[in-house]
Amino acid sequence: MISRRKFLNLALTFTAGVLFSRSKISLSASFPQFFFAQLKYRGGDWDPNPQFLEAITEELELRTSIDGMQERRVITLTDGDLFYCPFLIMAGKYEFDPLTPQEREILRRFLTYGGFLFAEDTVGAKGYGFDLAFRREMKQVLPGHEMRKLPADHSVYQSFYLIGSIGGRQRVNPYLEGITIDNWTPVIYSQNDLAGAWSKDTFGKWVHECIPGGELQRSAAFKMGINIIVYSLTSDYKKDVIHHPFIKRRQSL
Amino acid sequence: MNLSQVTIAPVFPLWSILVLFALGLAATFAQYRVTRAKLGSSRALGLSLLRLGAILFLVAFALNPSLLTTREHKVSPVIGLLIDTSKSMAQPEANGKSRLDEAKTLLTEGSSPLLTSLREKFDVKLYGLEESLKTLRVDELNGLKAEGVKGDVEGALSELSGKNTLAVLFSDGKVKWDDSPTPGPPVLVVPLGNPAEYKDILIKAVRAPSLGFRGREVVIDVTVRGYGYSGLMLPVLLKDGTKLVTAKNVRLPIPSPGETTLSLSFTPEEIGQKNLSISIPEQFGESLASNNRVNLSLKVVRDKIRILMVSGTPSMNYRFMRTVLKNDPSIDLLSFVILRTPTDILNVPTQEQSLIPFPVETLFAKEIRDFDLLIFDNFNYSLYLSPHHLESIREFVRGGGSFAMIGGPHLVNEGRFGVTPIGEILPVRFPDREEYRRGSPSTVRVSRSGNTHPITRLTAEAMGEGINPSSFWREMPSLDGVNLFEPKSSATVLLESADGSAWPILIVSNFGKGRVLALGTDYSWKWYTGWVAKGRGNLAYLRWVDRMVRWLTKDPSLDPVQVTFPDNSGFAGQEIEVRVQLQEEEFSLNLGAPITFSVFNPDGLKFDSKIRPSILPGEYLASFVPQRAGVHKIRVETSSGQFEESVVVAGVLDTLDAAPDHEQLKAIATSTGGKVVSSREGLLNEIEAYAQKGETRFSEERRSPLWATPYAMVLVLGFLVTEWYYRRRWGLI
Repeated sequence: MISRRKFLNLALTFTAGVLFSRSKISLSASFPQFFFAQLKYRGGDWDPNPQFLEAITEELELRTSIDGMQERRVITLTDGDLFYCPFLIMAGKYEFDPLTPQEREILRRFLTYGGFLFAEDTVGAKGYGFDLAFRREMKQVLPGHEMRKLPADHSVYQSFYLIGSIGGRQRVNPYLEGITIDNWTPVIYSQNDLAGAWSKDTFGKWVHECIPGGELQRSAAFKMGINIIVYSLTSDYKKDVIHHPFIKRRQSL
Repeated sequence: MNLSQVTIAPVFPLWSILVLFALGLAATFAQYRVTRAKLGSSRALGLSLLRLGAILFLVAFALNPSLLTTREHKVSPVIGLLIDTSKSMAQPEANGKSRLDEAKTLLTEGSSPLLTSLREKFDVKLYGLEESLKTLRVDELNGLKAEGVKGDVEGALSELSGKNTLAVLFSDGKVKWDDSPTPGPPVLVVPLGNPAEYKDILIKAVRAPSLGFRGREVVIDVTVRGYGYSGLMLPVLLKDGTKLVTAKNVRLPIPSPGETTLSLSFTPEEIGQKNLSISIPEQFGESLASNNRVNLSLKVVRDKIRILMVSGTPSMNYRFMRTVLKNDPSIDLLSFVILRTPTDILNVPTQEQSLIPFPVETLFAKEIRDFDLLIFDNFNYSLYLSPHHLESIREFVRGGGSFAMIGGPHLVNEGRFGVTPIGEILPVRFPDREEYRRGSPSTVRVSRSGNTHPITRLTAEAMGEGINPSSFWREMPSLDGVNLFEPKSSATVLLESADGSAWPILIVSNFGKGRVLALGTDYSWKWYTGWVAKGRGNLAYLRWVDRMVRWLTKDPSLDPVQVTFPDNSGFAGQEIEVRVQLQEEEFSLNLGAPITFSVFNPDGLKFDSKIRPSILPGEYLASFVPQRAGVHKIRVETSSGQFEESVVVAGVLDTLDAAPDHEQLKAIATSTGGKVVSSREGLLNEIEAYAQKGETRFSEERRSPLWATPYAMVLVLGFLVTEWYYRRRWGLI
């Protein structure tokens, strides 16, 4: 028999779940093992794909052992909880205001000490707008570490799926870029708008068409997304010697 | 007296004497000129000659003339009797007497003892020959014992060099001598012992590493020497305590004496200090049995700590822990992450996914013993491991392996821990209610046991500047998920939740020979990122993980007290110095508290030892003098517990080759210009002959000053008085 206290607890939990599901939840004192944290910055458009969460989380739940929380938290660089965010997303269309020296220092510490940032230019205009501002900031945050194309044998292409094409709402680059420090790539950058391909409206319809590849391109975007998430939680695990013969064999099939 | 015996030693500089002489001459001449006018030439000349005579004598005195006389003396050399007191001299010969006793008999017995005869004719000095010369009184001769180390003949001769000594050496030839030319007296050698009758088998040399690696072959080279057992086949045994490790047969060379070398090899399977012995069974008729055995110690360490980590899901916990373990060059990590569970749906063909089969049978049934530590991280093993795998894990831990279980929601396994072999080895159980709680952040606090445990007692450097050790764990970021464990009575809780119920978070215990740890959270990664967020770096997390691994695998580097022995542990009877170093955490805990140091002999009896602090903080120097050979136990007690080590002390007769070496004695005699003399009468004659040849002659010189006599003064005064008399007589005064 259920106690009155337990009943009230359940009722409150249910009500909170109805009210706050699928919405942007502000940071609380408790952190799930995995959730998306959307970085809010000044200027530009920091939230170009507000509806990416549901589909990618479902995919994560369906395909992998990761407990994906349908939860997106919005965070700024000066927020003290930044360091408890396992997957930081920084997306945008337009050029944004330069980060302050304090913000750069926090981001540098976050990325140097194990943090992970997935950045997306959703317009895909090279040398303009978000792309221009993001590259400028990364040079300031991690001087001496260049943003480079991630090689085809990078762990992010092998962490779950063996990736052949990147996918995305648009096909700007057939590769991802990133900043690698030692054997870890704390910054991965895409201009293909992966989150745009994941986005669904409240009626369950895709928000954007994937051009030019259609649904195959969308499917590839999901696979790439799963791989980036798995990489953020396992690092270069797939580079361990035990995986080599299997991956080589499958790639040659 | 002749003029060649006269020498001068001017009291003034010679030039000043010559100047004075010239002035005197000039004055005399002037006087002659003046007096000639008054007295005529002959009287003036007479007065001037008298003055000149006085001046010449004064100048002669100033030159300080002496008469040198020489007398020759003859001195016989001192007879230095060098009696070898090294250990081999204690060996009994066929007549039952030791070689040293033979020497004593030779010197002191008979109708006219040699020592008495020599003392009547010469100045005799007695020396005991060890590493250095030890002067003996005659009455000490009878009590002399053969207990010294190998006598150093070269050193002794250098010491006697220039002292007009004739050395007479009584020895069996087991002395230090490299046949190089040595300044010193001739040596008459009296050989003792009979090489032809000597029978012995000994382990002459052992070449073994002091450090070995677990799982890697250790090779020990053993040189066996035989006297009188040519062609005999013998077993050479390598034992660990009383347990036989390996054995090999060896045939002694023909002809005798001769030696042969063999290699004994084995692969240590356990880390730690091993007290090994190499021995040969004693044979009938052997002169010395104690040199058939050699003790040695071998420290077995890991080349790398091998860890198998299985994570139930990709997670922050896995990534941070993996990063720490991967970056440690002393760790060899093999990790598996369950990327998909059986209920997850794969939407691509095999060639498009990177998942590999989880080789459970290979890992948990066949190769588990290749690892030192097994980590289950939020891993629901019931989906993958069968009962015999779990039993294999239990036996792995029972046999000395270590196991860590990190919590999380996948761990719970519907509370079935208690009935599996894993439940048997774990230090915790689940109570019959909620198993994992998420969303109620809780900080942790260190328990009383945790305050002194190596895992949770971090160094000041690791905690960060200005952090109070007592509040360090309370300041760590809160945990968002905890497993609701209940510790077993045999377990030690190190950390517990500080908010609400005190759930144990970090629990350790022993199982069989192994160690076990349970961490009841999948959020320990927050202790990394949270500490970084506070600007305190990541050292605390790195050290904490490192210390968990090292405690679990019993790594000696984590021992709170480190005892360092000298490279060569020394012999029984020699002082052994030991360095005792308290680790920083131990030192801070132990500050001001007494530290005790005890040594126990192979029978377990405690004997005297000393300990004093060195100039370095936390370091002590201890010393003791073992009276016996064998394994000695060292115990260091601090306020937080006691720590034991053992050391092998070699016996004084270990590896002793006591066969008389008369060839060596011949070489000594030849290269010093001496002789080998065997008979007592011959010895006395030879000593007399050599003493005569060695007589030294020296001249005594005597210097008698010529001017220091009253006659010389009278002579001068005579000249002057005579001159004065004539001057007065001739009216010049």
